[in-house]
Amino acid sequence: MNELNVEALSRVEGDGGITVTLDGKKVKSVTLDVHEGPRLIEQLVKGMTPADDLNVIPRICAICTLSHRYSAIRGLEKALGIAPPEKAQLTRELMMLGENVESNSLHTFLLALPDFLGYPSAIAMLNDYGDDVKRALRLKKFGNHVMAVTSGRIVHGENPVLGGFGRYPSKKALEEIKLKAHELILDAVRAVELFASIEYPTYPEAETLFMSVNAPKKQYGFAGETILISNGKEVSAEDYKKLTSERVVSHSFAKRSLYQDKPFTVGANARLINMGKRLDGQAADLFKEHYSDRWLKNPLLNNLAQAIEMLWSLEHIPEMADKVASMDNPPIEQPTRTTGSGTGAVEAPRGTLYHHYDIKDGLIEAADIITPTAQNLDDIEKHMKLTAERMLADDKKDEEVRLGLEMVARAYDPCISCATHLVTLKRI
Amino acid sequence: MTRQSPKIGIYGFTGCAGDQLMILNCEDQLVDLFGATEIRSFVMAKSDNHEGELDVALIEGSISTEEQLKRLKEIRERSKVMIAIGTCACHGGPQAMKLGEGKWDEMYKKVYGNAKINVSKAFEAQPIDAFVKVDMYIPGCPIDKGEFLGAVSKLVAGRHPYLYKFPVCTECRWKENPCMLYAGKFCGGPLTKAGCGAICPSHNLPCVGCWGPTDDLNVSSEYELLKEKGYNPDDILKKIRKFGGAKVAQLVKDLEKKEAKA
Repeated sequence: MNELNVEALSRVEGDGGITVTLDGKKVKSVTLDVHEGPRLIEQLVKGMTPADDLNVIPRICAICTLSHRYSAIRGLEKALGIAPPEKAQLTRELMMLGENVESNSLHTFLLALPDFLGYPSAIAMLNDYGDDVKRALRLKKFGNHVMAVTSGRIVHGENPVLGGFGRYPSKKALEEIKLKAHELILDAVRAVELFASIEYPTYPEAETLFMSVNAPKKQYGFAGETILISNGKEVSAEDYKKLTSERVVSHSFAKRSLYQDKPFTVGANARLINMGKRLDGQAADLFKEHYSDRWLKNPLLNNLAQAIEMLWSLEHIPEMADKVASMDNPPIEQPTRTTGSGTGAVEAPRGTLYHHYDIKDGLIEAADIITPTAQNLDDIEKHMKLTAERMLADDKKDEEVRLGLEMVARAYDPCISCATHLVTLKRI
Repeated sequence: MTRQSPKIGIYGFTGCAGDQLMILNCEDQLVDLFGATEIRSFVMAKSDNHEGELDVALIEGSISTEEQLKRLKEIRERSKVMIAIGTCACHGGPQAMKLGEGKWDEMYKKVYGNAKINVSKAFEAQPIDAFVKVDMYIPGCPIDKGEFLGAVSKLVAGRHPYLYKFPVCTECRWKENPCMLYAGKFCGGPLTKAGCGAICPSHNLPCVGCWGPTDDLNVSSEYELLKEKGYNPDDILKKIRKFGGAKVAQLVKDLEKKEAKA
């Protein structure tokens, strides 16, 4: 028996690797191992005030920092009976649009694209694809800028708080965002064209289920109170445990989730599969043009979904900036009770993110955080195993199999540092 | 004669990867940064990584497994200069906030039960200087682009970077922010190292202490201000140990000792 190892999985966030155990040409197992050390964040926030918790939990992940903050805010506001003012809600939506542009541009261009074009990094692509790399950096910088204007800084901004914002963005800053978003729409369209032109390998293809938060009012969006499943079901976010039954596996630091004993996918592809018909603007046209049944099987198409979604986010930033700018700044809403429970569910760029809190006498009694990565890991392994089997049956060299597997992992972009439940277990 | 570009390695351990992300967030300078230096290893950004002798190792994250510890020591051995980047590497970060209180095993069990671990033994996260010599600290949660790029450009030019040594209060004064403490808000600014630009007070919010403890020699008077406002050492500690962990605890203890002597 031999082992094919991808020791340090590069171009992902956090520290992980893939181990494939082979018996001749038969694939015994494929595991995505998370090597990162334990942080025990959910335990550490116990006994803290909700405001202190809100300082700590965005630090779970730097790329999805605002999604963590927003999910926690939604859960905590429910628990404490806080009704956020409309301007706060709209500013939160604006910050999520910014994070979506930032994360999707980083992920598609800098982390995933080099695989499809055969380069070790986006920097190495500069000579041949200079325009695209620069386009990616422009989009990412703008996404970061929107995050900074709304949340206070690029990463781990503290400005969004329970009941509102410390300081609302100025009209001038919002006007600048609006103009810049218009300027960049062509870049985003080009990104969609680029990702639509890639020939995605068929090796990982297999049916799976897709889950995403149901945005209210039949619109596309990144937060809501119910969860859509691609089998047609709709479940309350408060019942998140039924959707994500967590367990510890022997080979990984991160806990895993299954739905009715089966792996499932969360992320941009899941969102577009469940809510793609709600898109508008050029994003809707390009979605119609490029959507096919293959989306339901091939995880690599997540990168195309991200590009389309990035365009949608960019198209909506001006309108959202206008709405925010037109409203007076409301004071921060205060809690109406000190004991209660609540679950927040948002769509982080990588997929559904749950934050559940139980609060007693003004202090956190229990916190439960389920990250997109924890939900995706089983599905990633499923698609990786198929990829390895099919590539070996096709007499592909080890090096090619290795790249094929990395491609699958990077398509989901497992944000390994965001797996809050970190432990390494390896049964002998 | 052309100067040889310095060989740099960028490594991440237990944390949120935010400091490495901040390096990738230097969109306007990224191409130049990769041009002026030889980035030998940066797993988050590229897949052609080569280990070997380094002029500068930039380390993000705290250390929380035996495997990481081994790796950290190995990197130290082949690096001329080791720089801790970000609060986790410098002070331990949120995961080290209760370091030394002896409750880690209990918390660990609550999360994972009695599951047997045989890949790499995990332990309570600690800053990297608990294990190896650190030549320079660039704190921040995450690091500030300006401070980071300033430090790297000085290093590339063969000069010693200048890093802020005073607390956030100084930056608030520069910005003419109204004092949070006078507004009745519990602000971590007096004990927290500057460098962020006093972002939270500039947004009408108290400083959360995310850059860790200041090493300013005049911090006593700032600490007195906190106490004058009615906060006792325990409250102060509870408020700002979220990021600075054991190092903040030490700072507060030292200040108390100094006061007792006076």
